[in-house]
Amino acid sequence: MNDLSQQKIDASCRVPLLALFGGAALWLVVGLLLAVIASLTFHKPDMFADCPVLSYGHAQPAANDAILYGFCIPAALGVMLWIFARLSQTELVLPLVPIVAANIWHLGVFIGIVAILIGDSTGFAWLEFPRGSSVLLFAAFLLVAISAVATFGQRKERELYPSHWFLLAALLWFPWIYATANLLIVSGHPVRGVTQAVIGWWFANNLIFVWLSLVGLGTAFYFLPKLAGRPLQSSYFALFAFWTLILFGTWCGIPQGAPVPAWLPALSTVASSLLIVPLIAIAVIVVKTVCGADVHCKGGPFCYIKFGSAAFLLSGLMLIASACPHFSRIVQFTWFGPAQEQLQILGFFAIIICGAVYELLPRIMDFELPFPKFVRFQHWCFMLGIVLLAGSLAIGGIEQGLKNYDLATTLPFLRASTTGLLFLLLGSLLFAANIFVMTLKWKLALIKSVIAAVTAPLEVSEVKP
Amino acid sequence: MSDETKSCPTPSNAEPTATRSTVPMWVFSLTLVLLFLGFVYFDHHGGWFDERVYGPYASADQLDSYQPKSGAAAAIARGRKIYESNCGTCHGADGLGKPNQAPPLAGSEWVKAKGVQRLTHIPLMGIAGSITVESQTWNLQMAAMGAALPDADLAAVLTYIRSSWGNGMGEVTADDVKAARAAIGANPHPMSGDEMMKMPE
Repeated sequence: MNDLSQQKIDASCRVPLLALFGGAALWLVVGLLLAVIASLTFHKPDMFADCPVLSYGHAQPAANDAILYGFCIPAALGVMLWIFARLSQTELVLPLVPIVAANIWHLGVFIGIVAILIGDSTGFAWLEFPRGSSVLLFAAFLLVAISAVATFGQRKERELYPSHWFLLAALLWFPWIYATANLLIVSGHPVRGVTQAVIGWWFANNLIFVWLSLVGLGTAFYFLPKLAGRPLQSSYFALFAFWTLILFGTWCGIPQGAPVPAWLPALSTVASSLLIVPLIAIAVIVVKTVCGADVHCKGGPFCYIKFGSAAFLLSGLMLIASACPHFSRIVQFTWFGPAQEQLQILGFFAIIICGAVYELLPRIMDFELPFPKFVRFQHWCFMLGIVLLAGSLAIGGIEQGLKNYDLATTLPFLRASTTGLLFLLLGSLLFAANIFVMTLKWKLALIKSVIAAVTAPLEVSEVKP
Repeated sequence: MSDETKSCPTPSNAEPTATRSTVPMWVFSLTLVLLFLGFVYFDHHGGWFDERVYGPYASADQLDSYQPKSGAAAAIARGRKIYESNCGTCHGADGLGKPNQAPPLAGSEWVKAKGVQRLTHIPLMGIAGSITVESQTWNLQMAAMGAALPDADLAAVLTYIRSSWGNGMGEVTADDVKAARAAIGANPHPMSGDEMMKMPE
């Protein structure tokens, strides 16, 4: 394939991806800012006593949703569109549809975040958005999926690459779980009693663990071999990891101490411990693909994806550990669970998506990043931030469980996690700076070319005698 | 970013490829071993999808054993406990007996007899010599296993034996046991099946 057609493929993704990434970068900053605000409550509990909008119960879910729905999903959709176009070796099909979808999506997130902040949340974890904004998100996701699947259908290379399975499964997985959970517990006729909690846990696990893993790994399996300059090791291993991941992953998530019939947590524990199989397979793939590559990442996208893959393995091990009956007796209802979630969302998913965006953005824009040094700075900020955030919450959680939920022992760890969030916020600002300055430059260039076209002197040949 | 792209050995525009090396056998073996252990765990803790079983309990049977009982059910539950510690070793927890050790109680004509006199005598006196159970002759010794039990306890065991394993027969009362003890008197001697047949049902 020659470079000219590659440029055409990249250019076809430009506007839809900018629409998705621009909003996503903004939501990442907003989400982390809200997380810092929520975290300040650990230092001075009455800080927002007179400001209900920013109180912990409002700021914390708003932060989580802004990061997950505002940043992770739209940014991942953008990366997916590009990967589909590239692997298919065709230009993006229906490029207008994802542009519209990006705007609908970000509007939905905006309505949802405002609703949470003013106290209009539904009260279910990860489903806090009111009904209207859920409908917008669902519709926008379907629109992007249509464009992605249409591009996939036009592919010139008929054989599938492992990333295809992960990303196509993710395109189907999200509408399924999101519609099911919303219809069953947020709609006008919710199911009753303990079933609500069971569906809530099922959805949270399928979104945070299964969906993020599918997309993050699909992206990693695309970029790791590309950046390492050697083939993925191997296609069959990836297939094995894929099937075991979705087969076992979807059953997890019911806590050991949940007040539900014993078969639910027992089955969940069995499925969680079986997750060790895909984790081993993924570790083998990553290690075999990365080791032996003669590439030094120097804080670039390769570093992002390697760090994200390592964080995935760690977060998977934490998930298995917290389903283990003996260990879960200590860590259930402690900060260990949120630590695993933050590691999965920020340490694994966000960092892989940021790395992918940095890798593909100069290609689709056809000019270099405005602040290439920020890439390395952001990598350090994110690494430090994630280690501080997830590390302090995890250790704090174990301490909390061992010391009988004693607040005095947990509080220093919660305060330490604020530092981690500040580093992450700094990193997200660097990310947003790169994206927005790049968009601005592109728009200026566009305006300049329009002005140039309008004010250009007429060609001699066009002038009528 | 820019120097990183340059250090890449392959043209970064090339799409990634994947090798076709197979998944080693040990990964599949590990999966199967973990699946097996998982099912064992579920068998022990899952309560087999019974919606009444909540943690930390593991099965509906376990729950039943903790329920307070009254009347005949209480006697049977008490009889079951005594049976399992005194009789079950030889006759089996399922009442099917053991070859060359003890005849079955499940479906036995001695247990399912209309009257309870013969049945009540067996644990009080023991058995010596041949006895025919379900048209099979057993040539064994049985000690007077029930002689040391209080009347009410022995009655509970016999009630449990008569009502379990599809025997479907009625209760043995403490008075039945008392009467049998009185008939045997102070000097019990083990009887054979033929001797016992001479006794009224």
